[in-house]
Amino acid sequence: MNTIIIRAALLSLATCTPLLAAPPLPAEHLTITTLAPNTAHRIYVVDEAFLNEIDSRVHIFDGDTYRRLGQIDAGFNPGFNLSPDGKTSIVGTTYFSRGSRGTRTDVVEFTDNSTLKVTHEIVLPSKRAMTLPTYFNLGFSSDSRFVYVSYVTPAASFGVLDPAKNTVIDEIDTAGCVLVIASGPNRVSSICENGKLLTVTLDAQGHEASRAFSDAFFDADRDPIFVQGVPMTNGYAFISFLGDVHEVDFSGAAPVIHEPWSLVGAAEKGVWRPGGTQMGALHRHMNRLYVAMHRGGEGTHKDGGTEIWVFDAANHQRIARWPVAAHKLSHVLAVQVSQDDAPVLFAATDTSDVAVFDALTGQLRHVEKQLGQTPWLILNP
Amino acid sequence: MRSIDRLFEKSSRAIAQRTSRRSLIAALGKMLTGAALIPLLPIDRSARAAEPAAPAKGHVQSKAVTDDPKSCDYWKYCAIDGFLCSCCGGSSNSCPPGTQPSPITWIGTCHNPGDGRDYIVSYNDCCGKVSCSNCECNRNEREKPMYRPSRNNDLNWCMANADSNYHCSVSVILGVAEK
Repeated sequence: MNTIIIRAALLSLATCTPLLAAPPLPAEHLTITTLAPNTAHRIYVVDEAFLNEIDSRVHIFDGDTYRRLGQIDAGFNPGFNLSPDGKTSIVGTTYFSRGSRGTRTDVVEFTDNSTLKVTHEIVLPSKRAMTLPTYFNLGFSSDSRFVYVSYVTPAASFGVLDPAKNTVIDEIDTAGCVLVIASGPNRVSSICENGKLLTVTLDAQGHEASRAFSDAFFDADRDPIFVQGVPMTNGYAFISFLGDVHEVDFSGAAPVIHEPWSLVGAAEKGVWRPGGTQMGALHRHMNRLYVAMHRGGEGTHKDGGTEIWVFDAANHQRIARWPVAAHKLSHVLAVQVSQDDAPVLFAATDTSDVAVFDALTGQLRHVEKQLGQTPWLILNP
Repeated sequence: MRSIDRLFEKSSRAIAQRTSRRSLIAALGKMLTGAALIPLLPIDRSARAAEPAAPAKGHVQSKAVTDDPKSCDYWKYCAIDGFLCSCCGGSSNSCPPGTQPSPITWIGTCHNPGDGRDYIVSYNDCCGKVSCSNCECNRNEREKPMYRPSRNNDLNWCMANADSNYHCSVSVILGVAEK
């Protein structure tokens, strides 16, 4: 018995000796992490936080390391966008003076994307469009001279802001047309119920100089377009509920609208549909279009995709279908693709996960669980 | 409450959820409320005619309509996108205590299987408190994007309220839709 006790004591001593000999951990210094320079696979995920909507945020996430890099607070029912150089984020949002109630203040907040600190803000009239986040809730002119903000009261108009002077320059009525599609240094287009685009051209001071309507290019009754766009080299593609792709070149004085092409063949039309909050994304150099698609009838345009379809946008041919259930993913509401030569495809689901795919092969690399409550829009500089 | 939440989470519509939401028209807003709804009826009918609400070929729908106003499948909720006030202290046509109804709304046409009629319904948001967060419901029959605001449920229809925070949504029968 004594022998056993002695052996146990010796063993214990031998085991513990190295620990006892190890130096103590050094005292730590509290620091603030510095954000590394931007990379091609960094994304800004707009979480509308629908379950507690006064507390929306934008999560910054790295598609290489799968780390969450930081957060931009976004208030109530926000819009979000990036400056043309990617160095600044703008959040258009609303605060109430007593948290969930009280005096309403609409504001655009500017965040330095290298520090994630709010640098300045511009208070708006209480007219900001409170709706889903899209590319067009607010945005910069191409030279960053102006910021445009969509207003809906529900009368539709937009504000022209001077981010250098922190002022609201003007409010411009849009005759019922909605949202702000910024192009060039001084043009703003809005989408109209009659299927046209209204384009307002500003003078050097940010006031209206002229306006013009395009021809009608979609039918809001027969096949409406989503108010979400897919950025292209010279403009945006607008996808319709039934899967037509309307490419619009915004590089000139007036938008040039191309003949639509369809994501679906005749046998698939009305059966397979695009859907979600950000249903498409384009790799502009490779001309690869990624669209979240689902089987569904009328009224399913907000349903997420059960598959991601990949197209060659140059010749309008489908290249691949990637079912997401194979990866145990729920329906895809938002897609985004990086623009580098080794592109990554991001897909946000209706269960709040964000999946990271190899955009060339469809191979799943990572699933970031619960990246917010309701990740409905993904942007990348 | 939690069991109700779970039940809804399991429904196909609740899964489709989380896309957007809400409600409708306004500006004309405070002026328009009752009277303004009448001119909207023709819009409603034409929209309904645009595309059949019946499932498209090949579409699998598990949308058994119920008469439970706490269910997203309740017939009056055919274009509601938000939290059901029935699960938040109110009812299908009553805002919860302490909230205010939006004076402006979006409009839907829903089929009542109980009597076989189509009804024009007004979807009002109830405002002034933070998200109810219970019984999220996202149905979009004949719903249109925000360039047609009278049919759009993504806009926060509390926008014209003195306190524009969104809490939940109700569905109020306005009348029988003419054939």
